[in-house]
Amino acid sequence: MINAKKNIRYFLYKYTPVFLLFTSILNEIDFNNLGVKYFSFNFVYILIFYYNLKRDGGIGYIFIFIAGLFNDVINGIPMGISSLCYLLLCFFAAYLRNITLRPNLVKDWISFLISILILNFITFTYLFWFNNYEIDYLNQTVNIIFTFLLYFIFSHLFTIYDKAIMGRFK
Amino acid sequence: METSRDDFVIAIRSAFLKKGTQQRFSLLSLILFSIIFLILGSFNLRFIEFNKSIIKEVVYYSSFIVTIPENIIKNSFNKVSDHFEYYDKFVIVQNKLQQLENKDLSKKIITYENVELKRLIDDYFVEDGQVFAKVLADKKSPFLKSVIINKGSKNDIRIGMIVLDDDYLIGRVVEVNFLTSRILLISDINSKVPVTIQPINAQAIMTGFEQQKGKLQYIKDEKLINDLDQELIVVTSGSGGIFKSGIPIGKVNLKNNLNTNEIIVDFYKNFSQLKYLKILSFKQEETQLDQTNKKIFEKNDEVISKINNLQENIKILLQQNIISQEIRNKLENQNTKLNKKIINTQKQLRKQKAKEKKIQIENEEIKFLKLNLLYGHKCRRTFLKAKLYSINSPKYKVCVLNKGIIKKN
Repeated sequence: MINAKKNIRYFLYKYTPVFLLFTSILNEIDFNNLGVKYFSFNFVYILIFYYNLKRDGGIGYIFIFIAGLFNDVINGIPMGISSLCYLLLCFFAAYLRNITLRPNLVKDWISFLISILILNFITFTYLFWFNNYEIDYLNQTVNIIFTFLLYFIFSHLFTIYDKAIMGRFK
Repeated sequence: METSRDDFVIAIRSAFLKKGTQQRFSLLSLILFSIIFLILGSFNLRFIEFNKSIIKEVVYYSSFIVTIPENIIKNSFNKVSDHFEYYDKFVIVQNKLQQLENKDLSKKIITYENVELKRLIDDYFVEDGQVFAKVLADKKSPFLKSVIINKGSKNDIRIGMIVLDDDYLIGRVVEVNFLTSRILLISDINSKVPVTIQPINAQAIMTGFEQQKGKLQYIKDEKLINDLDQELIVVTSGSGGIFKSGIPIGKVNLKNNLNTNEIIVDFYKNFSQLKYLKILSFKQEETQLDQTNKKIFEKNDEVISKINNLQENIKILLQQNIISQEIRNKLENQNTKLNKKIINTQKQLRKQKAKEKKIQIENEEIKFLKLNLLYGHKCRRTFLKAKLYSINSPKYKVCVLNKGIIKKN
């Protein structure tokens, strides 16, 4: 009985981020485009960065790769660009995890900002220069700012969730 | 210094190459795989396109399945809110229906005339193919505003076909798979639609703007539009041959124009509520018409001429009505004037009569006084003539006027 409970908790602990990742990508409600003027954020970036920073192996690179492909297909942008960005985000998070001795939320936060700036630069460059997409830079800037700001809140929420699920078991 | 560089290299190597527990691929291999995907995707090789199409079909249907609960909640909410607004909407719809019924006849005439005129300039397009499709997924991407439909090349959907919802333009097909297709909405920033602004007949290019709006660009005289007070309708112009001309899109938001220099279009349709769409392709009508078409056109011509005659008659009758109304008004005015005059003359007449009576009385008085001087002594009672009359008596007056007592025979 106790083992079964532990298994369920472990399953939730391990696969909730994966579930959140795929649901946020496949669902119609997209935080990237909420229909509110001057408010949007990239929930997937926050999710991937947080879990890759806090967990060894993160959500699972193959899941992230597939999620990126799904995101490209659904958003109608060239296949592979989101995967590349998500995996690069994983790389930034993994690098930060390797060099960090004492985790600090503010440092993570600043690193996250630098990471998303680089990733958005790559995305915009690829879409604009190689695929002639027109980009609304104001909205994208707003998106980056809110993604950065909301990382703080979501990281707390994820931490609370992880503690609630795993608690002492962890 | 050497140690810190070593640490940096180790950290990067670890981040790139270290596999997590139960992970089959390293981060580096997956990044390389993504880059290969991107590079191969830019080549239009059949094998790659086929694989991409399969992935897309799988993803679209997965997305459709995942969004089912969300759509159920959304639809239920919409239904409830619709029920609350039911009566208000009913009143508005009833008023609109009345207005539309009034406009219907003139619209029919204009449509017939328009068809005839377009036929004259070889610009009349007929529907080539029509497919109805259901919206599978409506993912609101920051880079591309588009929807996925459940019809693909299997159902004769081709790239470039136009998409309508209730005869209003929604977008066009930009990607076709075997069972699904992608529609680029006209609200997308990458969408460029050649449009005409009616009734001023100005040409422009419309691109997507914000969530549910369009922006007009390349207008010859923007001030002209900003200065106008009347409602401006935006329809497709048909330039470039991608869209058929005359498909309604929306109307120019004049309030917004007052605040900004940009000319914004409010679409007739709400793109967040799309469910069933009509996908159409048009082709130019062939000039050599068959006999059945000819008969139809002849009939149409007859109907047009009849309607025109009727319209002319109605116009004439209306004119006559207006003229008779004016005449009636004039006559009424004259009548009132004459009545006033009659009343005035009657008043004057009465005054005149009164004057005349007064004068007559005065004349009689004068005559009596004159005769009194001459014949008063013949009628006045004196000591000697006791049978005569006293001065103020009526008999005395009669006597004076008769110039004395009339002797009886």
